[in-house]
Amino acid sequence: MHKAEFLQKVAGLWPEIVMLIGATACLFIGLSKGKGPRRSTPWIAAATLVIAALMVCKNSGSTDEPAALAGMANYIKLAVAGIGLILLMVAAGVPNRLRQSIDAEAAKTFEPGDVMTGEFYAFFLLSLTGVMLTAGAGDLVWLFLALELTSLPTYVMVATSRDRIEAQESAVKYFFLGALSAAIFLYGFALIYGATGSTNFIEITRIAQEQMLLNGGTPPGLLLIGMVLAIVGICFKIAAVPMHFYTADVYEGAATPVTAFLAFVPKTAGAVALILLLSLIGWPLPPAIEALLWLIAVATMTLGNVLGLLQNNVKRVLAYSSIAHSGYIIVGLLAGPAVIDAAGATEGTLNNGIAAILFYLVAYALGTIASFAILSCLRAGDREAQTYKHISGLHKNHPFLAALMLISVLSLVGLPPLVGFLGKIYLIGSAYSTGFTFLVVILVLNSAISAAYYLRIASACYFGEPDETVHSTGQLPRYAGALVAATLAIVLGILGNSLVNASRNATTPTQTTAQTIAQTSDAPTQTAAISNPINLE
Amino acid sequence: MPIELIKLIPWIPLLGAVLCAVCCMKPAWRKAAGPISVLSIFIPFLITCGVYSAASGLQGDDKVQTIYQWMSVGGFSVNMGYFIDPLTMIMLFVVTGIGSLIATYAMGYMKGERGYARFFMGVSLFIFAMTTLVMADNLVLLYLGWEGVGLCSYLLIGYYYEKPEAVAAAKKAFIVNRIGDLGFALGIFLTYMTYDTVSLSVVTSKAVAFLSDPNYIATSADLWIPFLLMLGAFGKSAQIPLYVWLPDAMAGPTPVSALVHAATMVTAGVYMIARLIPVFQLSPYALPTVATIGGITALFAGTIALCQYDLKKVFAYSTVSQLGYMFLGVGALSSFGGIFHLFTHAFFKALLFLTAGSVMHALAGQLDLRAMSGLRKKMPVTCWLMFAGCLALAGFPFTAGFFSKDTILAEAMVRGTGEHGSNLYFFLALMGLLTALLTAFYTFRLWFRVFMGPEHFEMGDDHGHSDDDAHGDDHSHAHEPHEMPWWPMNIPLVVLAFGAIFAGMIVHWTGWMEHSIETSTAQPAIALNIQTDPQPTPAYEIITVSNTTDTHDTATEHPAAATGHSAEHDRAHGIHILMMWISSFIALLGIGLAAYFHWLNRPLTDKVAAKFGMVVEVLYNKYYIDEFYDLVIVKPLRTLGHGFYRFDQAVIHGLVITVGYIPRLAGWSIQPTQSGKMQGYGLGMVLGVAIAALLVFKWAF
Repeated sequence: MHKAEFLQKVAGLWPEIVMLIGATACLFIGLSKGKGPRRSTPWIAAATLVIAALMVCKNSGSTDEPAALAGMANYIKLAVAGIGLILLMVAAGVPNRLRQSIDAEAAKTFEPGDVMTGEFYAFFLLSLTGVMLTAGAGDLVWLFLALELTSLPTYVMVATSRDRIEAQESAVKYFFLGALSAAIFLYGFALIYGATGSTNFIEITRIAQEQMLLNGGTPPGLLLIGMVLAIVGICFKIAAVPMHFYTADVYEGAATPVTAFLAFVPKTAGAVALILLLSLIGWPLPPAIEALLWLIAVATMTLGNVLGLLQNNVKRVLAYSSIAHSGYIIVGLLAGPAVIDAAGATEGTLNNGIAAILFYLVAYALGTIASFAILSCLRAGDREAQTYKHISGLHKNHPFLAALMLISVLSLVGLPPLVGFLGKIYLIGSAYSTGFTFLVVILVLNSAISAAYYLRIASACYFGEPDETVHSTGQLPRYAGALVAATLAIVLGILGNSLVNASRNATTPTQTTAQTIAQTSDAPTQTAAISNPINLE
Repeated sequence: MPIELIKLIPWIPLLGAVLCAVCCMKPAWRKAAGPISVLSIFIPFLITCGVYSAASGLQGDDKVQTIYQWMSVGGFSVNMGYFIDPLTMIMLFVVTGIGSLIATYAMGYMKGERGYARFFMGVSLFIFAMTTLVMADNLVLLYLGWEGVGLCSYLLIGYYYEKPEAVAAAKKAFIVNRIGDLGFALGIFLTYMTYDTVSLSVVTSKAVAFLSDPNYIATSADLWIPFLLMLGAFGKSAQIPLYVWLPDAMAGPTPVSALVHAATMVTAGVYMIARLIPVFQLSPYALPTVATIGGITALFAGTIALCQYDLKKVFAYSTVSQLGYMFLGVGALSSFGGIFHLFTHAFFKALLFLTAGSVMHALAGQLDLRAMSGLRKKMPVTCWLMFAGCLALAGFPFTAGFFSKDTILAEAMVRGTGEHGSNLYFFLALMGLLTALLTAFYTFRLWFRVFMGPEHFEMGDDHGHSDDDAHGDDHSHAHEPHEMPWWPMNIPLVVLAFGAIFAGMIVHWTGWMEHSIETSTAQPAIALNIQTDPQPTPAYEIITVSNTTDTHDTATEHPAAATGHSAEHDRAHGIHILMMWISSFIALLGIGLAAYFHWLNRPLTDKVAAKFGMVVEVLYNKYYIDEFYDLVIVKPLRTLGHGFYRFDQAVIHGLVITVGYIPRLAGWSIQPTQSGKMQGYGLGMVLGVAIAALLVFKWAF
């Protein structure tokens, strides 16, 4: 890469740089002796997210959204920063581990100085930085590093989030299986490099198009196997079949706020990475890849939903629901971006699978984070509230939490006027308009199945007998996080047009697939070129 | 006052409703609900007055005031936006003006009731829905307001939820309205399919364009849309065959009857047809149907009102009858007449209901005409206020009801006579005249019965307000009828009474409303004629189509050449004058007969009634329509419902349970894969990769 290009690329990365600075600051301050400075780490993290969000806005304002998926990076960065703030609220008190585990034994040896491990927020910020970098990736190496930057901090977060053995167990599982999946998709990346001779997306796209043209529409074997390994490997990040095994165990083992984090952050990174990877070979996808994704989508949503039905642990239910939602997201991947007609215009949102995914990620995040946040507000005795028994009769003692829970599960079911409804409409619309009718039928059936366990949560909250051991943790930020997420689920459901338009603008216009990709990887460069007039050559 | 304030009009009552809901929480706060609610209705009224001139002058696109885009799916988009034209302003005057007066009265009337704050929450919410309805710039938002007022009506009729008849009446109102709303909803769908938009301004202007295009061929959708929309209007405005809910709705508190079931909500159907009159004109049969239904309902309900003994029921049937007049008005292409009558009716019917409420209040819930007589000494103010209302309802010369009723009847007569007159409209006008006679008679029958003759009363068994000091100084009210306090009850009534007497004169002589209607979408596009050539009267001549060939297959019949105008004008003017004389005479005749039979010579009345015992019986039982509906519709439906329920229990439920097991079975079968063992998971992942690779290669090569 030339020096000028490099500088331009860096100029477009100011939000990520801010995030890194914030993470480093948290890391150092989190080690300080005094409790006061350590207590400031969440505020530093919040400030970092706000500044990063502002820089993203400034960035997107300074370009005129040159083309194609260029807008996606900014959209994702903004969404990550915004939802990151909610996650931050929900995560309040997590590093303050004694608070969760305090019992008679621990209370004797209670040492205020031990409390508050500020570096938690450094990992938090680093992981979010990883997602942001993923969205702006233009190179396989970059993509790999960004994905790993997303995941590695989460292993630590899971391990340190609770001082129970379950947390350590699930962190170890998560780490090893994550490493295995990373190996798989890295192998895939290597094969793609081997097949095309480049790690640069523009180059890969160009060569892949030529090869596919010669090969009658399908990619040659090496490229194909590379793509398969990459796709299946990244399925780990979004918790899709066949890489879903870890999900329920890890989600259950981690502290609930961290579970909320896991349910959104790596999934977003994975979904974005899949969009970028598939755009290398372009839509309409080669039949083999299409068949593979079709099977993954159907298996993922069905497996997630049928296993969700059988659980007694609400965290596991939500884990399986998160698997099912990954299946829905893959449906959007199959549909692909809007195809422009002869007039050069695309109409509506209902034909753009990528825009639908971008919208759906936010819709899904709000419902899921809100429900995890509500769980995290409760404790049963000295343990986390996790089962149906714990949330039954929530309405009697905690009517506010019960109402929020109702809103969030209804949004996840996809009931109007909540945001989940709009998300499903756009996904289904995109799949339907690109001819995946049977897939749409399966999706709708799955939604019906999912309603069974979502409504079971709601009915437990409202019609069950209260469990006397359940009490509130009294952490106001968590309440606030749940409230913000649930409120947004309503507000965006009714006034969602701006978000819909944003997701649409982030993914249109698309000329031809090849051009799309060219522009995609050009975008950061162009952005930089406009905002940074320095040109050394 | 800046025009933007108009966007606030619906939201202030909504805020009021929320505040009232907050007031429900603590008993100490409940008293605040009344003033809050009144203010939340009165402020929009002030805004309406303040922006009136600016709002009436809006042109073109400025009439649509958009707040935000509500939804947009594909090519379909709906705005949360308001359409402001003179018709909107008239409706806003009625809704907020009459609304604040009635709410003020209710502050006194509802004093001491247990659900005081709940009541005012309902009222404020109703005003929110009703203002949304009349201001909506598209059919979907209008439908939202339409359902909103239906909901509030349900809540307010069922206000005394511990009384079974109130609950039954609330349900009846809601369910009967559903039938009409189904038609309305289908009408909206069809409108969208035909016009590709739901925006009122676009739909009406397109319809006007169709009407003025001589080559336009009406499609079957054009014929159907008005009939579907009409069904909604008939449900909401209690017309045959969907009128049965309105008399029962009197189970709600009297201010609700006055506000919701006389002055505002029930007129929504008239408003909707007036608003969309060009769309109705596209179907040659639509407006005659509206007029016919309206005329028949007017007469039919008028006869029932003759023999009712319940004070509020008389007024309820009278409302149905007067709504029939309004439909006759719009059906005769005189949306001015319809809206004019809507306007005056709001004043005098609200006044009548509220004074009836005062009587009921004074007699501790007594509503039976046979149990009261000669109350004028006990309640002098109420007596003369109701007298003003009765005069207006009876159409006594120069009162409000006289002018508006006369406009409708004269317009119907204009359409029914002359060179190309239609017999239908001629008969409808005659029916209208007969109804006017009945109206004058039953109105004054009631008034003479209650206030004239020997003093006699039986108290009801409802002690109403529980606090003894509800009226401060008056401790004996449970035993003796008493006059209502001036504030907050009688002063609003005086305002209403002024309206009931003078509103007609003002509108008639200043002509502002006629002008307003002419500049709104309620203006009929061109004269519509049922048989042959149209016969424009001055009110109609706004569009002149150059082509004069006959196009009988469409509704777009062109107006006659300008030569006939002055003659037509003279004829219309003559008919107006003639009808004024006739209706004055009829009103006086009706009042005279009522005075004779129900004041001066009551024993004779009883003899006559005994002679025609069977007729009286049929009328008293409202032609047994409720029993008929019960037999023909409710019972079979109920039987069918039971059948379905059994089928559902036995077959569908079993099927669902069985199907519901399938996902569970699937889950059980794959659950062992979730063993918790990491090695197993790793193996599963690698196998998954291998299978995926194999599958893809099988597929690709």
